[in-house]
Amino acid sequence: MIDQLLGLARRADGGADALWRRVERTAVTFEWDRLKAAGATEEAGVNLRVRHRGRVGVAGSTAVAGADGQALLERALASAELGEEIELAFPPRSPLPRVPTHFDRAAEASLEQLIGIGRGLLGRLTRDGCQVNVAIERERSETRVANTAGAAGSYRATAVAVSADVWRIAGDDVLVIGDAFEGSDLPSDAVLDELVRSITSRLDHALEVVAPPEGALPVVFTPAGLSAVLLPITQGLSGKAVVQGISPLGNRVGEQVFDPAFSLTDDACRPGRTASRPIDDECVPSRVLRLVERGVVQRFIYDLETAARAKTESTGHGQRGIFGKPVPGYTNVVLGDRDKVLGENPRELGGGLLRDIADGLLVDELIGVGQGNVIGGSFSHPVALAYRIQKGEITGRVKDAAVAGNVYELLKRIGGFGSDARWTGARCAPSLLLEGVSVARR
Amino acid sequence: MIDRLTAALARSRAQYTEIRVERTWSSAVSFRGRRLESATASDDQGGFVRALHEGHGWGTASFTSLDQLEAMVGRAGELSRAVRLERPIRLADVPPQRAEATLDLDGDVRGIPLVEKKRLLETYNGAMLAVSDRVVDTLASYRDEVSEYWYVNSEGTVLHELRPEVTLSGTAVARRDGTIEKGLESIGLRRGWNSVQDKAAGFRTAAQRAVQLLDAPMVKGGTYPVVLDPELAGVFIHEAFGHLSEADFVYENPQARAMMTLGRRFGKPVLTAGDNGAAPGLRGTLPFDDEGMPTGDTVLIREGILVGRLHSRETAAAMGERPTGNARAISFRHPPIVRMTNTYIANGRGSFEDLIKDIALGVYACSAFGGQTLLENFSFTAAYGHMIRDGHVAEMVKDVVLAGNLFQTLDRIDHIAGDFRWNQMGGGCGKGGQYPLPVTEGAPHVRIEEALIGGDVPE
Repeated sequence: MIDQLLGLARRADGGADALWRRVERTAVTFEWDRLKAAGATEEAGVNLRVRHRGRVGVAGSTAVAGADGQALLERALASAELGEEIELAFPPRSPLPRVPTHFDRAAEASLEQLIGIGRGLLGRLTRDGCQVNVAIERERSETRVANTAGAAGSYRATAVAVSADVWRIAGDDVLVIGDAFEGSDLPSDAVLDELVRSITSRLDHALEVVAPPEGALPVVFTPAGLSAVLLPITQGLSGKAVVQGISPLGNRVGEQVFDPAFSLTDDACRPGRTASRPIDDECVPSRVLRLVERGVVQRFIYDLETAARAKTESTGHGQRGIFGKPVPGYTNVVLGDRDKVLGENPRELGGGLLRDIADGLLVDELIGVGQGNVIGGSFSHPVALAYRIQKGEITGRVKDAAVAGNVYELLKRIGGFGSDARWTGARCAPSLLLEGVSVARR
Repeated sequence: MIDRLTAALARSRAQYTEIRVERTWSSAVSFRGRRLESATASDDQGGFVRALHEGHGWGTASFTSLDQLEAMVGRAGELSRAVRLERPIRLADVPPQRAEATLDLDGDVRGIPLVEKKRLLETYNGAMLAVSDRVVDTLASYRDEVSEYWYVNSEGTVLHELRPEVTLSGTAVARRDGTIEKGLESIGLRRGWNSVQDKAAGFRTAAQRAVQLLDAPMVKGGTYPVVLDPELAGVFIHEAFGHLSEADFVYENPQARAMMTLGRRFGKPVLTAGDNGAAPGLRGTLPFDDEGMPTGDTVLIREGILVGRLHSRETAAAMGERPTGNARAISFRHPPIVRMTNTYIANGRGSFEDLIKDIALGVYACSAFGGQTLLENFSFTAAYGHMIRDGHVAEMVKDVVLAGNLFQTLDRIDHIAGDFRWNQMGGGCGKGGQYPLPVTEGAPHVRIEEALIGGDVPE
């Protein structure tokens, strides 16, 4: 389909590229302790970009039957007519890495199998006074990208998402503890065991509510609780922010900005992860990109357009949907030692970092992450789920507390990494101990 | 189309079946700094089928290829049969509706060339850039759509609507040395091209605010009497209370039901709040929800007492209450779930000056960069604020984050002014993976006798 479309698009004097994607999803939902619904989704669409007279335009459609290719091209050309001039070059054909993205077991899983996973989780998470929601989703997709410079790539992919939340409402105290698995293959029994254990252990520790500490304290951020700490950094390492001149890291490549223990990698080739693929959505081969190495800023992520504006090359981070133009986006972000990925001790909350803490906080979830002026590095968030640490042990859940700080200051000195590295969505990280985080009561 | 949909319905063997089909034409333009970022026109179409067999759960199917319509009706039925339930799902009765509704297109955006839209936005973007040399970056965006909508269900409801929508937003970033501040203004309307003319003033305001914030000190953290402007008060009632009043949260959860028992006191007698999907001309307004139920005004809190909640047909039947027309889906890709429409705090009495005149030291929190609620806990980031000193609005402050416990905070609302207005903001509401749903909020100025302002945390 897109090869025909690119044939038509030869009218554009600066070339064209296109992405076609078909997605099929099956989902089952357990709501408040019972299986409630099953759903199917089938969606296909195409996104076309042209460069004509130096200007770039895009158009997308889900309403593409054979004859509509011409109309889509006209729209893309109309969009290009308004566009600004960009030195955007479509990449030539180059070899692609082998990245396993399609797993037969996941692709062929029956509805009954998916329901079975959910029932198993529900049975093990049910407890008195609590209610459980579970969702299982399996996706099969096919992607084809190609351009008029001769580059092309096609791949099939599977993705499975399993999530569970346990709700406990006692009077006006609402407690929700959840966890999720995301991967290209069906989760193994061991992975599901781990998910159940992660929820129940955090729930057990949460039943007792204790007073929050106050002051500049050691705070352990769990792999899930790290979002507020990493978000300013990933925003700052995006070529888009660098090109706009709003990244605090924009002119600091080669500088020691963080603690020498801090390394960050984007890995588009990691087997079994749903963000992995052999080629990005603009025909650039996937790679492993070191963003920060031992505290020194190395690279930013770019798509074709931001790379053209920054006068550099795309790093293979172009992401595009059916509508709109490609944007730079991360794939799998790995914090810490990228060769030694998963922790040897995923079972202990805090990954062994709590032992030497006399009084502090373990943060698992914050409220309002992403609001406000994120890229500057300052944050201030009430806790959604946090525990007090006293004399090296968790003494209970803390409510009505807020944490604040500036990640650029805090990450200059890292108190330690836990031995509990795990995947949370598309991020792999261990728990992280930071000293001197402001903790306030309210 | 209607004939095709009713024919497909007739072939369903489920006890209840509904089909939605949408075709949406949209265009979007955005500027970043002086540069046009993109100008695109898109065409999206697809359908959604939901089926329910007696004694079974919901089966749903969504698709982009309308050739698949009949097959997808069959698929939804099969999926329903795969879900066995002990307690059956019941739907509250709604009389069959038949309507042909074309909302006021107010200058059909489909007839306006993309270049005109670009020109309009370029002017507005230029208005931001012209405010000061300190404005180093801007993001201006324009988006419009017209959606043709068909809905049929096996109880005889047949709807055909044409729904317009247009949104404008401007973000200005001002910088001086290492200090970066931003100002944001937006507008979203269920109207067309005519309604987005002459809007440069709002964009200018966004840029002026970003520049002013460069000189504003960070608010000192602590508890203060806090006055919310109508915009932030609207966001507050939507985020902090509205979501709890959505019945899908309570209908099958006994503890949540106990927490949200009708008749419970939630605030002082000054507080009345509700949700009105039929309020004329607003972004959250539509004649019917996505189950074919007419929309209306639902009072949620009357004089401090919880008196209502928002329902789909399913949650209403489960709780023995009346459906309210709040089952909404953002598109054919999703099932209808219980959502808000236009959520409001009702008018009180007196003026803004009356609210602040006896405050010795307080915070006036204005507009919102964002807000998040995790059930009883919330956090809102005001776009800017002012200190209130000795009954008067004083210096501007930045980084005003309002955080707290919903129950305590609602109960501390002690004065509501008589200056109600709807906030015609862009953006939208997210829930259950469905974002952005067009909603509106409205409120007068609202005073909270004591609330925690975060930001600068004492050492």
